[in-house]
Amino acid sequence: MFGKVLIANRGEIALRIVRACHRLGITAVVAYSEADRDSRAVQLADEAICIGPAESRRSYLSASALISAAVVSGCEAIHPGYGFLAEDDTFADMTRAHGLTFIGPPAEVLERFASKAGTRTLLAEHGLPTIPGSPMLRDDAHALAEAERIGYPVLIKPSAGGGGKGMRMVRSMRELQQALTVCRSEALAAFGDDSLYLEKWIDENRHVEVQVVVDRYGNGVHVGERDCSVQRRHQKIIEEAPSPALDDGRREALAEGALRAVVAAGYENLGTLEFLVDRDGNYFFIEINCRIQVEHPVTEMLSGLDLVCEQLRIAAGEPLGYSQQDIALRGHAIEFRINAEDSDDGFRPQAGVIEHYVAPGGPGVRMDSHMYSGYDVPPYYDSLLGKLIVWGQDRPEAIARARVAFDELVVDGLTTNIGLHRALIAHRSFLDGEFTTNLLDRVGSAAFLAAARG
Amino acid sequence: MADESNGDQRRDGREVIARLADELLPVLIARLEASGLGELEVREDEWRVRLRRPQTNGATPPTGGPQVTAGLAAPSSESRQAVSRPERGRALVTSPAVGYFAPSDNLKVGSALRAGDVIGYIDVLGVRQEVVAPEAGTLARLEVETAQAVEYGQLIARVEPEARG
Repeated sequence: MFGKVLIANRGEIALRIVRACHRLGITAVVAYSEADRDSRAVQLADEAICIGPAESRRSYLSASALISAAVVSGCEAIHPGYGFLAEDDTFADMTRAHGLTFIGPPAEVLERFASKAGTRTLLAEHGLPTIPGSPMLRDDAHALAEAERIGYPVLIKPSAGGGGKGMRMVRSMRELQQALTVCRSEALAAFGDDSLYLEKWIDENRHVEVQVVVDRYGNGVHVGERDCSVQRRHQKIIEEAPSPALDDGRREALAEGALRAVVAAGYENLGTLEFLVDRDGNYFFIEINCRIQVEHPVTEMLSGLDLVCEQLRIAAGEPLGYSQQDIALRGHAIEFRINAEDSDDGFRPQAGVIEHYVAPGGPGVRMDSHMYSGYDVPPYYDSLLGKLIVWGQDRPEAIARARVAFDELVVDGLTTNIGLHRALIAHRSFLDGEFTTNLLDRVGSAAFLAAARG
Repeated sequence: MADESNGDQRRDGREVIARLADELLPVLIARLEASGLGELEVREDEWRVRLRRPQTNGATPPTGGPQVTAGLAAPSSESRQAVSRPERGRALVTSPAVGYFAPSDNLKVGSALRAGDVIGYIDVLGVRQEVVAPEAGTLARLEVETAQAVEYGQLIARVEPEARG
């Protein structure tokens, strides 16, 4: 196992990785930008090293600054967290070239799964039903031809990144032509890469993903699925497991098929395979995430695994040490992303001082957050303030615990989406487990808030 | 060497340069952009090609990695190099990068400095980034030792500005 690890990220995930390092007896070094000097991860780290100014391109997205920080602080490995450089094969390759271990899939594995179209083809060869889609679009004419071939409606997606930026669903040629320009500029602004591709859009779809854990020697397990259908503008806000959309037969077939395909395709470390599920329970693979995900605690609550520790163990070359029959998934878990954003104003991100913060507690309640009273939320990064995760023997018990937890949770000083969460868990569609990915946008968050108020 | 005996070599040289420009440079530029490195050098026979990223404000170009930002850009005041800040009449020189510090040759306390003089380097993975004097004066104090690891923004030196008359 490593003696010292550099954490190349910020916010709640940096804190989560510090905790995992400390649990394994690893010295945790946090790399931070000037805007994150007062962050919780920096406070709890064994060492902290300033890597650059607030601007991500010169700090959390600067491969040379991060690797240099690892070298001068004597680290053996770098944990990239999620977002930023987490799935960048060039960064993973550079890390290795400087004698350090990248905590995630090795560079050649990241490269193999870097192309979305290539990954769909590769995993289809290994037996996964995949969503019809296009290769990277060369130009507008190519886009129109591909959309015609796939059949409208189609979803325009950026090659890089996530979080819904650069994504649009279009139902006609005219809509497609108009949206391409917008998506290109959004993708360029958010990820520095304006390449786009198309994916068949399924109306009334649910987003279900499978967590896999695979060691260097080809031993792998799946840790069940997560349902991430409650989204706003293609960004997840509530995730839960098990999925209310699948019966046990399909649940097992989905998870086992996903695991078999990625192991056969040579995957390594933690990964998530994302699927769309249609009204009839048919599922289609859309993409793979080669990193720890925001919603990983849902799976931890059900399985008892510490997924960040598993990442560290696998990257250090340890064999998995358990097999599928050792994985027992118990009860029901739901995660709520607490964002600094205004649900009444187009989810506009908020920044400023958190005057008062009190975390909820009790059985089956977990709060993963880097907030503290007096913390000044910088305006430069993601709006995620933390995650409230609840567990119950079954779904109704988990929802009941969520209600109690939201009554306890205090975040004063800036606008958050806590009110929207309270409205959502009181809504019939959520209570019945019938949320689809476009429901919140179609109905509008104002309608959910109004329904809860009156 | 005489011009005549070098004619063939010079013609060869031009051909090599043309070939390097056509074949090697585009690849090197792409690799430099993808890497996030500040500088890249390749040697081939007796030829050496070195690419250096322009050190303008907010110099690091996109590395292609996904970003978790909420779409808020950093204000421009944040993107300047953190090289100097005033302190009771003394200018503070801070590190522009994470790496190892090396002072310039012959630099010592009391050395006369002009604004922009290089007082040392930060070695970032083998690439040197200059540490420059923010204004004219004399070196009052070096705060770090040779080969010491420094972080971004760390105090490197104090400069006593020259008296203005």
